[in-house]
Amino acid sequence: MTQAATRPLAELATADPARYAIGGAAPRFAARPALREAVVELVAAAALDRLAIVPWGGGVALPHETTPGRYDLAVDLTALDRVIEHDPEDQTLTAECGVTIATLRRRLAAHRQELPLEAAHADRATLGGALAANASGPRRLRFGSPRDRILGARFALADGTFARSGGKVVKNVAGYGIHRLLCGSRGWLALILEASLKLAPAPEHRVALVYAVDRATLLDGARWAFLPRLEPAFVTVVSEALTRAIGVSSGAAFSVIVGLEDDRPWVAQQEAAVAKVIGAPVARLEDDEAGALVQRLADLEEADAARRTFTTRGNTPGALGPIAASLGDRFVFHAPAGRLHVFGERPLATPASLTRIDARGAGTAADTTASATGVTALRARIRAALDPGKALALGDRWTGM
Amino acid sequence: MPLTPVHLDELRALLGADGVLASEAARFTYEADALALEKHMPDVIVLPRSTDEVAALVRWARARRIPVTPRGAGTGLAGGATAEHGGIVLSVNRMDRMLRLDVDAMLAWVQPGLVNLALSQQLAPLGLYYAPDPASQQVSTIGGNVATNAGGPHCLKYGVTFNHILGVVVVLEDGSVVTLGGEAPDSPDFDLAGAVIGSEGTLAIATEICVRLLPRPEAVKTMLFDFTTIEAACRAVSAVIADGIVPAAMEIMDQHTTELIEDWLHLGLPRDAAAVLLIEVDGPAVSLEAQVEKIGAHARALGTRSIRIAKDDAERAAIWRGRKSAFGAYGRTASGFYIMDGVVPRTRLAEALAEVYRLCEVRGLDAGNVFHAGDGNLHPHVLFDARDAAAQARALDASHEILRMCIRFGGTISGEHGVGIEKRSMMRELFAPDDLAVMARLRGAFAPDGVLNPGKILPGDGDGHSAPAQMGGMRVRDDAQGPWI
Ligand SMILES: Cc1cc2nc3c(=O)[nH]c(=O)nc-3n(C[C@H](O)[C@H](O)[C@H](O)COP(=O)(O)OP(=O)(O)OC[C@H]3O[C@@H](n4cnc5c(N)ncnc54)[C@H](O)[C@@H]3O)c2cc1C
Ligand SMILES: Cc1cc2nc3c(=O)[nH]c(=O)nc-3n(C[C@H](O)[C@H](O)[C@H](O)COP(=O)(O)OP(=O)(O)OC[C@H]3O[C@@H](n4cnc5c(N)ncnc54)[C@H](O)[C@@H]3O)c2cc1C
Repeated sequence: MTQAATRPLAELATADPARYAIGGAAPRFAARPALREAVVELVAAAALDRLAIVPWGGGVALPHETTPGRYDLAVDLTALDRVIEHDPEDQTLTAECGVTIATLRRRLAAHRQELPLEAAHADRATLGGALAANASGPRRLRFGSPRDRILGARFALADGTFARSGGKVVKNVAGYGIHRLLCGSRGWLALILEASLKLAPAPEHRVALVYAVDRATLLDGARWAFLPRLEPAFVTVVSEALTRAIGVSSGAAFSVIVGLEDDRPWVAQQEAAVAKVIGAPVARLEDDEAGALVQRLADLEEADAARRTFTTRGNTPGALGPIAASLGDRFVFHAPAGRLHVFGERPLATPASLTRIDARGAGTAADTTASATGVTALRARIRAALDPGKALALGDRWTGM
Repeated sequence: MPLTPVHLDELRALLGADGVLASEAARFTYEADALALEKHMPDVIVLPRSTDEVAALVRWARARRIPVTPRGAGTGLAGGATAEHGGIVLSVNRMDRMLRLDVDAMLAWVQPGLVNLALSQQLAPLGLYYAPDPASQQVSTIGGNVATNAGGPHCLKYGVTFNHILGVVVVLEDGSVVTLGGEAPDSPDFDLAGAVIGSEGTLAIATEICVRLLPRPEAVKTMLFDFTTIEAACRAVSAVIADGIVPAAMEIMDQHTTELIEDWLHLGLPRDAAAVLLIEVDGPAVSLEAQVEKIGAHARALGTRSIRIAKDDAERAAIWRGRKSAFGAYGRTASGFYIMDGVVPRTRLAEALAEVYRLCEVRGLDAGNVFHAGDGNLHPHVLFDARDAAAQARALDASHEILRMCIRFGGTISGEHGVGIEKRSMMRELFAPDDLAVMARLRGAFAPDGVLNPGKILPGDGDGHSAPAQMGGMRVRDDAQGPWI
C-alpha cells in the first residue's frame, strides 16, 4: 500500500541542496525530516514526480562517492536520532537510524555495554549509515558485523510503503530477514528508519600491543598462524606511511597491532601467549587508550578518497603474501576480519584470494562466472521488487542499469 | 497436477532409478515432518546427489509448475518440510559429505544433508567445533538448520545458525546456481545469504554450505540453582545478563517439569523447587572461576536455596540429562500437549510465565514450562487429555492466547522452530499487512513461480489448521532419554 502524498515536494524539501553534493554534484532538492511519517510522505511525494533519491546518513562516505547518473533529492536522516528503547537488562537497543555511533557508544558505556559496530568517524557516522554500508572495522571477526547485530528494522520503500521485519527480541525466526538484507544495501533498497540491535557487555580490560615488523616477517605465515585460535579482538597491519595518523609508529616498515579484550586474567594469559611467540611489543596501550586506538584504526578507512577495499578469507598478516609486491606503502589490513584497504591510485595485481568489495557490481566486473551473473540478476530482481520505480538512484550502478 | 508415469521416467533419467521413490510406502513416510498434525503425501520423493542434480530437478519441476519441497531430516516442528500441495519432496539425505575443510581459516564447506552432530564429531580431533547445537542435532541436518535458522541452548553466547554461516551455494527457482556470501567474513553487497537463511526452503535450496568453525572452549562449568518462585529464577537470569556476564546457556524448568523428570529418572532434582535454573559458562579456564562466583552471588541474592556445581563430566552430563529429558517426560504422562516457541524480552520472562499459567488455569488445563531463559525463548507445553475433544479445543485456544501475549509483550511467535504451515495464520497478528506484502515482494524476486515450497510462512493460500506443534501422546521407552526441545 502506498501512502498518498498530501503536500507537494517543494514544501517538504526545505534543506539546502548544496550541502548534499556527491562527487561534487548537488541535487535539486534536499530534506531533513524529523519524523518517520514525514520521511514516508516525502518519498511518496518524490515518487509522484519520479525523482531520484539518495538517503543520507552523516555523510562520512557519501560525498566521496562517484556522482550518480540521476540525483534529484537528498533525504537526510540525521534528524531521526532518538533512542527509542534501551533496557540494559535485556542487552538490546532500539533506535532511530540517524543517531550517531558515538552517541550510542557514550550512552551504552554508562551501562558498561557496547554496540560493537565500528565505523570511521563515529562522531558523524550514523547507525543507518553503518548498517547500510555493512561497515566493519578491526574487531569485525570477534564481535560480528551489522548483520550479526541487527534484530529487526523499520524501513520505508521508495514508493512510500512503510514496513518492518524481525523484532526487538534476541531470537526470532518469524518471517523473512529483510533487516539482514538491508545490511550492506548502501541506500538503494530502502531507507532504514529504525533498528533493533543486540548489545554486548563492554570488555572488562583492553590491551593493544604494537609490533615493529619488516617485510619478510610480515609475510611469514607460520609466525602468525597461532593467532586465530587465541581469538584476539583484532590484529591490524598498518604500513609505515599511515602510522602517523594513528599515533603509534613502530619505526619499522609495518606495524602489527594485536588487540586483546576480555576479563583481566584471560587478557594477561593471552598477552603472555603472544609474547612467547612473537616477543615483546614496542608499545603497549591499555583500556581507554587502547579503545581510542581502535577508533583511529577504524578511521583509517577514510584516510583517502582514493581507496580500494578487499576482503579475503586469509585471517593472519601472512594473507598479504600474494599481493605484497604491489601493495605500496599506504594500506591497512584488519587480519582476522580479512579486510584490506589500499590507498592511492597505483595499479594493483589482485590475486584470486582477494575480492574487491567497493567497486560497482562488486566482484562482478571481472567475474563473469555463471554464479556472478546469477547474483547480479538476483540483485536486479530484488531491486525491481522493492523499488520498482528505480527511485533510489544509487542502485543504478549496482544493478548495472 | 498429478504426476504421470512419463514424469517418473523423466525423473529417473535425471537422477537415476535409485534417486526416485514413488511407492505408496515411501510417500507415506514423507507425508509429514515432526508436526504430525499436518499430513500431505507427496507424489514423489527425489534423492539428488549433487548441486547439478538439484538444479536439473528444479528446472524440470519449474517447467511443469510442480511444487518442490526441500527436506533434511524432517525434524522441523512447523510443517515446513511437508508437501502441502503435493508434488516433489526433495530429500538431501544423499548429500551428506564434508566437501572441504580449511583448518587454518577455520571453515568448512559441507553438503546440506550432513547431520549437525556428525559435523562436530568430525571436527573434534582438530580442537574445532560448529557452535549451533539444536536439541535435534543428532538427526537434524545442516541444510535444515540453515533453512530454519536453528538455535540451541548454547546460542545465548554463540548466536544462532545465521551467525555461523559464511556462505551458501543455492539453487534458485529458475534452476540457476549462485553462491551467496563466501569464505571471507565480509562479502560484497547486501546480505543475500542472510535473507536465504531462515527462509524455510521458500527462496532457494541450499546445496553447499560454508560454516564457520570455532576453537573448542578450554573449560566448562555447569551450575544448578533451585528457587522457591519462578519469578526469582527469572530475575536471576536478568541479573546475570545485566552484570555483563554472557553464559553459554541459561535454562529454566518449572516444578511441574522437574517432578515429571524425577518420577521418571530419579536424578535428585529438587522436587519442591518452583524453578530449577541451569547455567553453564564456558571459555578459557582462567575466566570461569570469577564468573561462577558472580553468578552464584546473584543467585543467592535472589534467594536460591542451593547451588550445585558439576564436579566432573559425569555430573555435568547428569544435570543436562535432566534438562534434556523434559520433553520425553511430558510424553510419558500427558496423552496430548501443544508446544509453543514464543519469545518475550528477557526482562519480562516472569510476567510472561505468570500469564502462561493463568491462561491455562482459567481453561482448566495444566501447563509445564521448560525454556531457553537466557534468550527469553519460551516453550510452554499445554497439556490435555487427547480423548477429550473439548479439552483439546481449549488447549488450542490457550496456545493461541499465549502467542498473542508474546506479541503484546514485544516478542515474537517463533524463536527457533519456524513458521511453516503451523504459525502462518499468526503472522497476520504479528505483522501489519504492509510488512507481509513487502515479504511477499521479496519472495517474488527469488521465486516468482510458486514452485519452491509453496504456501509456507506467509498467510494467504490456506492457513492450515494453525495449531501449535502437537507432539503429545508420544510414548518414550523408560530407558530412553527421548528427544527434547
Ligand atoms: C563499499 C563500502 C564499504 C564500506 N565499508 C566500511 C567499513 O567496513 N567500515 C567503515 O567504517 N566504513 C565503511 N564504509 C564507509 C561507510 O559508508 C561509513 O563508515 C558509514 O556508512 C558512514 O555512515 P554515514 O552515516 O556517514 O553514512 P553516509 O556516508 O551518509 O552514507 C553511506 C551510505 O549509506 C547509505 N545510507 C546512510 N544512511 C542510510 C539509511 N538510514 N538508510 C539507507 N541507507 C542509508 C547512503 O545512501 C550511502 O550509500 C564503506 C563504504 C562503502 C561505500
Ligand atoms: C525433539 C526436537 C528438538 C528440537 N530442538 C530444536 C532446537 O533446540 N532448536 C531449533 O532451532 N529447532 C529444534 N527443533 C526443530 C528442528 O529440529 C529444526 O528446525 C531443524 O533445523 C530442522 O532440520 P531438519 O534437517 O530436520 O529439516 P527439515 O525438518 O527436513 O526441514 C525444515 C525446513 O527447512 C527446509 N529445508 C530443509 N533442507 C533444506 C535445504 N537444503 N535447502 C532449503 N530448505 C531446506 C524444509 O523445506 C523445511 O521448511 C527440534 C525438533 C525436535 C523434533
